[in-house]
Amino acid sequence: GLSSTRAAELLARDGPNTLTPPKETPEIIKFLKQMVGGFSILLWIGAILCWIAYGIQYSNDKSSSLDSVYLGSVLALVVILTGVFAYYQEAKSTNIMASFHQMIPQQALVIRDSEKKTVPADQLVVGDIVEIKGGDRIPADIRLLSAQGCKVDNSSLTGESEPQPRSCEFTHENPLETKNISFFSTTCLEGVAVSIGVLFFIIAVSMKYYVLDSIIFLIGIIVANVPEGLLATVTVALSLTAKRMAKKNCLVKGLEAVETLGSTSIICSDKTGTLTQNRMTVAHLWFDNQVFVADTSEDHSNQVFDQSSATWTSLSKIITLCNRAEFRPGQESVPIMKKAVVGDASETALLKFSEVILGNVMEIRKRNRKVAEIPFNSTNKFQLSIHETDDPSDRRFLVVMKGAPERVLEKCSTIMVNGQEQPLDRSTAKAFHTAYMELGGLGERVLGFCHLYLPADEFPATYSFDVDTMNFPTSNFCFVGLLSMIDPPRSTVPDAVTKCRSAGIKIIMVTGDHPITAKAIAKSVGIISANSETVEDIAKRLNVAVEQVNRRDAKAAVVTGTELKDMSPAQLDELLANHSEIVFARTSPQQKLIIVEGCQRQDAIVAVTGDGVNDSPALKKADIGIAMGITGSDAAKSAADMVLLDDNFASIVTGVEEGRLIFDNLKKTIAYTLTKNIAELCPFLIYIIAGLPLPIGTITILFIDLGTDIIPSIALAYEKAESDIMNRKPRHKKKDRLVNKPLAVYSYLHIGLMQALGAFVVYFTVYAQEGFRPSTLLNLRVEWEKGYVNDLEDSYGQEWTSYQRRYLEWTGYTAFFVGIMIQQIADLIIRKTRRNSIFQQGLFRNKVIWVGIASQVIIALILSYGLGSIVALNFTMLRPQYWFVAVPHAVLIWVYDEVRKLAIRLYPGSK
Amino acid sequence: MWAMLQTLNDEVPKYRDQIPSPGLMVFPKPVTALDFSFSVSNPESYRGYINDLKKFLKSYGLEEQKNLTNCPSGAFHEQKACSGVNDPEFGYSTGSPCILVKMNRIIGLKPQGEPRIECILKGENTAVLSTYPSNGTIDLKYFPYYGKKLHGSYLQPLVAVQLIFGNRNDVNEVTVECKIDGSPNLKNQDDRDKFLGRVVFKITMRP
Repeated sequence: GLSSTRAAELLARDGPNTLTPPKETPEIIKFLKQMVGGFSILLWIGAILCWIAYGIQYSNDKSSSLDSVYLGSVLALVVILTGVFAYYQEAKSTNIMASFHQMIPQQALVIRDSEKKTVPADQLVVGDIVEIKGGDRIPADIRLLSAQGCKVDNSSLTGESEPQPRSCEFTHENPLETKNISFFSTTCLEGVAVSIGVLFFIIAVSMKYYVLDSIIFLIGIIVANVPEGLLATVTVALSLTAKRMAKKNCLVKGLEAVETLGSTSIICSDKTGTLTQNRMTVAHLWFDNQVFVADTSEDHSNQVFDQSSATWTSLSKIITLCNRAEFRPGQESVPIMKKAVVGDASETALLKFSEVILGNVMEIRKRNRKVAEIPFNSTNKFQLSIHETDDPSDRRFLVVMKGAPERVLEKCSTIMVNGQEQPLDRSTAKAFHTAYMELGGLGERVLGFCHLYLPADEFPATYSFDVDTMNFPTSNFCFVGLLSMIDPPRSTVPDAVTKCRSAGIKIIMVTGDHPITAKAIAKSVGIISANSETVEDIAKRLNVAVEQVNRRDAKAAVVTGTELKDMSPAQLDELLANHSEIVFARTSPQQKLIIVEGCQRQDAIVAVTGDGVNDSPALKKADIGIAMGITGSDAAKSAADMVLLDDNFASIVTGVEEGRLIFDNLKKTIAYTLTKNIAELCPFLIYIIAGLPLPIGTITILFIDLGTDIIPSIALAYEKAESDIMNRKPRHKKKDRLVNKPLAVYSYLHIGLMQALGAFVVYFTVYAQEGFRPSTLLNLRVEWEKGYVNDLEDSYGQEWTSYQRRYLEWTGYTAFFVGIMIQQIADLIIRKTRRNSIFQQGLFRNKVIWVGIASQVIIALILSYGLGSIVALNFTMLRPQYWFVAVPHAVLIWVYDEVRKLAIRLYPGSK
Repeated sequence: MWAMLQTLNDEVPKYRDQIPSPGLMVFPKPVTALDFSFSVSNPESYRGYINDLKKFLKSYGLEEQKNLTNCPSGAFHEQKACSGVNDPEFGYSTGSPCILVKMNRIIGLKPQGEPRIECILKGENTAVLSTYPSNGTIDLKYFPYYGKKLHGSYLQPLVAVQLIFGNRNDVNEVTVECKIDGSPNLKNQDDRDKFLGRVVFKITMRP
């Protein structure tokens, strides 16, 4: 290999071995997108209308007030601020994603200074010799120097779905075709367009008022109806959840995915690595005619099988010695199960297994020096090695062999039982076969172990073994035992599966693995429940042919990729609809896409996990694509909506739970936000219809929407789940929306109207106590607003100048504002729960709510008493007692809602 | 709501903090803004003003004032010139229009000192301005006002302003500013409220 210094020189010359990152959407475009999306457009219209209105006013009367200009500017400011905010939030989540990319840089095993070293892939330089093995991502464009059965997946470059064989021969002029070049795996990135769908009202004004009045009216309606704060609130709430989920190892890329996740009804999950631990682990042992169970949990701590038998001693020796896997150096402090190993999956499993039980394996191997070795290959299906033994009194060589059980048995003439060699007769052979079938039936990979002590006289210590000529016996071995391995399920998965079941989420396992293994794992994690049967199981139980079984009787189904290939879409639909527990085995990643489409035809919200490049179409097609953070390719990660940092299925379920919670809480937030829209809208309607002086100004509305209401509505996102949200069916994406009819009706027509009424009472109180009784106010609007009428008479005969009236109007605004604010506190408290009484949920569990309430009151106090003198804000100091006028109404709202909740609890069926 | 209305006093509003000081206003009210515009030769152009004035001053007439008992000197301070008694057209036809300046009613208001309304012509002008009463005094006997219910036939004090233009054959345009003066608790200078204790109006007279 290269020397480190030469590598450093080359690195400096050529730069790091990375692809130029895909061109991203320019930041400014992203920013502008935030500026014009959804409600923002409406507000821009409002702002422009304001300026037009001022233009009209100005052309009529040069001295007209600047109010409209202020309002327009405030509206523009609001849009810009929310835009900046949303942009900032998005940028933040993009950054998390980017930093995550850097967290797990690709590593390459490279030979430098004549040593194998692991370096980050971007440090590779021209001339480096790189070692790759199956499953590695090719770290650079490389030329193969030596290879054994190497195949590469070129699909991202050429679209070939079949793995392409690669060897050292130069076969083709075209670098893509020639067999001795592998390419740096490229991935395509596509920008994720975030669009937030919004509902808005278009109110046409066709009343016979002056253009100016109509415009002001229109602006008022727009401002009152647009929940300016909602976008910011929803963004904050979603990013709070996204953060919380990131802590639980779900990294959500787009905020809307949080919410979609909550509505997931089918999860198509990979097996390996997601449901399982993605490492082969010894699960069972068979020796002394007995099956022993090994601990397959993540840390292996608890090996309880009987280790006293002499057979075990022999077996453990074979396991230890007949193994080429080695721990990577420099990992002394790492727990055994987490140590990195050079070697294939089964050997790794055996190495770790023996290390846990016997202690220092390397030391044992050193004491039993290996003199010859035949590595495993697919033709002999066994692995053999010859060792000196560590027993100084015994100079015999020990030949140890492991391999496919039937091949190993063929080579044996005796079998060890309780440490004694016995001839291998028919009954012991039968016992072996039973055990082999049993373990194989569990979907486990079974290995047989045997050994032979070579007689010292024939094979003295100086004997030279030659593995090519096989100058040593390879038969008449003594069979010692069987050992079976499986990639065991993660210990958190069965619980997660149960949770999904109670949450009405169907789990479909899609794996490339063997059907038997797939079914075994599915059974052990509960994807196929203990008492459900497949068609084949029923056939076996009833002893009839598979065709005779009524397919409807089987709850579970195991379908292989070949069967799936022959299915028409209708058949697939039928399969998906009729079986609640489905395992797809031996499937290709392309078929995942077919499965996802099939599920989507069932009107389901499908979450799909994937890690490979080939999974990208399925991840994109799915409503929620979930990429694996550890094993996932970059293509999968960029196509996915969510990345599982720990590759664990249980994390998906946590994500679903969070998604459901935030959906509930957003519903509360929206109900809270929408309620006051009526209270803000009514003044404008009444102003036009009944001719009252304007009860609330546009700027004042903005102060409610963006001032007092912001923190409380965010606080609702902190609300804990009301009942067990994982015991509900997934919501129907189309029918059960965030804003549905009952919610809108209840918010607008019940609470909203009550709130409007309460606010009007405060307004009328202020006017009446200052001299204008409600009867006088009726139809007073035109006179009231004439600037040159400076002797308008009130109910008591007093006369008011226009400025005095204006000031009173602002006091009215403030009063209305305070009225709404006080009632919003009640609204906030009732929105904490949807069915439970507030006493059941507890008033103090969510502390943020109280922060919200405090912020509401403090902001209102500052606006009324602190900013009372700023003309543009239209706030005046309000007499302290007016703050309490709306309190009875607030209490009324609360009582009303408690009664409603009581009714819901008593008669759950009715709406 | 109903409960709130029950707490209201029929006679006096609960608070008067928003109108601590009265505004000034002119009478008749022009159709738009405070801009009187008429033509001497065209009676139609000022008929509206005259009718308004007549109606307004009717209650100030001797007939109506007979009932007033609680004003010790119910004498009418109006001089003949603008009372409409001698000239039913209030000088509009002769090019010397009368305009009444009145102070807004505020319940319980007790002006201090000797309030009077002072009017001046703004800018260079040939017109002559006279007020009736000549120094624009408002007699304290008009105060305080007790509200519409207790004080139904209350008549607020008026000061008449008459402009006599020198040249009646030209278009005359004058701006008049009237202020309350002489009373420390009646404000006449507020940046925001241009009608608090003062009033500015314009008269345009065409031949």
